[in-house]
Amino acid sequence: MKVLIVEDEAALRASLLDYLRHGGYVCESAETYRLAHEKIKLYQYDCVLVDLTLPDGAGLDLVRTLKADKSVAGVLIISARGALDDKVQALELGADDYLQKPFHLAELNARLRAVMRRRQFQGQPHLSFRDLTVFPDQALVLVKEQPVTLTRKEYDLLLFFLANPSRVLTKEAIAEHIWGDAADMADSFDFIYTHLKNLRKKLQELGADNYIRTIYGLGYKLEPA
Amino acid sequence: MKLLTTTNRYHLALVTALFVLGTAALYYGLQRALAHEVDEQLGLHRTFLAERVQRTQALPPILTPNEFSISPAPRAEGYGDTLLLDPAEGTQVPFRQVTFRVQVQGRPYWLTVRKSLIETADVLQVVLTVMLPVMALLFVSLVLLNRWLSRWLWAPFQHTLAALRRYQLQQPQTLALPPTRIDEFSELNQAVTQLTERVAADYRALQEFTENAAHETQTPLAIMQAQLEQLMQLPELPAAAARPVQELYRGTLRLSRLHQALTLLSKIENRQFTDARPVRLDELLADKLEQLQDFAEAKQLQPELVVAAPLTVAMHPALADSLVSNLLQNAIKHNRHGGSLRVSLTAEALEIANTGPALSGDPMQLLGRFRKHNAASDSPGLGLSIAQQICAHYGYQLHYAYRAAQQLHILRVQF
Repeated sequence: MKVLIVEDEAALRASLLDYLRHGGYVCESAETYRLAHEKIKLYQYDCVLVDLTLPDGAGLDLVRTLKADKSVAGVLIISARGALDDKVQALELGADDYLQKPFHLAELNARLRAVMRRRQFQGQPHLSFRDLTVFPDQALVLVKEQPVTLTRKEYDLLLFFLANPSRVLTKEAIAEHIWGDAADMADSFDFIYTHLKNLRKKLQELGADNYIRTIYGLGYKLEPA
Repeated sequence: MKLLTTTNRYHLALVTALFVLGTAALYYGLQRALAHEVDEQLGLHRTFLAERVQRTQALPPILTPNEFSISPAPRAEGYGDTLLLDPAEGTQVPFRQVTFRVQVQGRPYWLTVRKSLIETADVLQVVLTVMLPVMALLFVSLVLLNRWLSRWLWAPFQHTLAALRRYQLQQPQTLALPPTRIDEFSELNQAVTQLTERVAADYRALQEFTENAAHETQTPLAIMQAQLEQLMQLPELPAAAARPVQELYRGTLRLSRLHQALTLLSKIENRQFTDARPVRLDELLADKLEQLQDFAEAKQLQPELVVAAPLTVAMHPALADSLVSNLLQNAIKHNRHGGSLRVSLTAEALEIANTGPALSGDPMQLLGRFRKHNAASDSPGLGLSIAQQICAHYGYQLHYAYRAAQQLHILRVQF
């Protein structure tokens, strides 16, 4: 899968490239509007990550160009402005999602995968990981062909892990993914622990043991083997 | 009080004072002139009678006893005033008289000539008859003049006033006021134009500053957060480093959350959320309660949502979201274990009642910034202050009440 990252901050661009390449994407980057415009005109991408404020142009114009060219690429906006009008405008222009800076890399990755899933529906009807198979359009989870009944939050949690396999997911990133703004309320980490415990137990009962490992002091990680 | 009413009052007072003074002056002046004339006539009459008596050496006949009398006994000589009965009118009438002595065949006689004075009342009547209409005419014309002045001369002022009333900071444009011939108004218009130019420039500068500050701060925060997350992915990260990295990471998150809240507050204050859409409040409340279910369950709360009727309000969706979640989070966060949480929505108000310990200090201070119940808490304590700002933005009233008997805190948003 080919992703173009349009971001002018070198350090952030490097982190994004690194994280997404690790996740199995083929990534290219552009640091200016001109360069990004050239690339989207020349090449075909599956998804384009666009920062709204670029030194030589507006990121929204790139979205307009993509839509005018009837590109099949998914569009994910990242912006520091956070102005809610920008968000509304971006989504109305046809962007698939909008993420405000600063964001968790794991969250970005999960959103990116969701965009891809929606875009390439026929190609990837299900996610597979070791003995796990998930059909996101039916919210169906199978362990060794056996269906598992998960609560809404356990399911969200599992999908978040599946989007970021073998990466350490911080409790903060998980909390924000599940509860959004309410994540900074006290004891949200305890709830993660409870939901995770239940999820692990349900997977374990069907023989999927030790999938999610606790990384002491940092968070949790979905182990590939 | 209207300027016109005030000036009319002063005009009326002035006209009344002038009228009283003028009437008095006219009255006394007239009376003096008349008295002088009568004295002159009496003098002529005396000269004529004295000559005639001297010539004929006989007393003249008395034709009208009121106006002429003869007395052999001595009388005070010279001019004087007296009152005599007027047989025609049957009242006492003032007379002016002059008495003088004549010699007829060697014997002295005192002759008195009198002349009736015009009655005071008559003079007063004449004066008032003339003055009153003059005064009324003067006053009516003053009022009409003022009305005309206020309509035509003050028109530029009214225009400026209306333009200022319509002026909105959210769409700061310079007021274009038409030129006027009156110096004072054109100075006023100039001052207003300059003021609105400055206001518009300041507003744009502030807006740009907020936006730039937000951008410039969030970008380094995003870099910090991304790099720290990358750092945490390293398998070779020493266990001793994990904790400091974790603390750094949490600090970064707190800073960015605080920054987002403050940016939101200043954007609401700058009225940058003008785009209102219909929002179903009842659905929003149900969604948010479901999202917060974990937090409610942890405190063994059974949230109760009572909706009288589905309610749609016109709000910016993000602000509606923020208002509802801040109020609900507050009600859960400060609730006690096994307490109650009741949310009721009617067409007039949204009321959120939760149990909790009594507050120390002024309850309205709760809505101030950085007010925390528990100083050690991670959240910056901006939630209620954001809710308050959103209410103020839409002209809603946010009230707080505490029922000590049930230990119930009630926050009420009056639409």
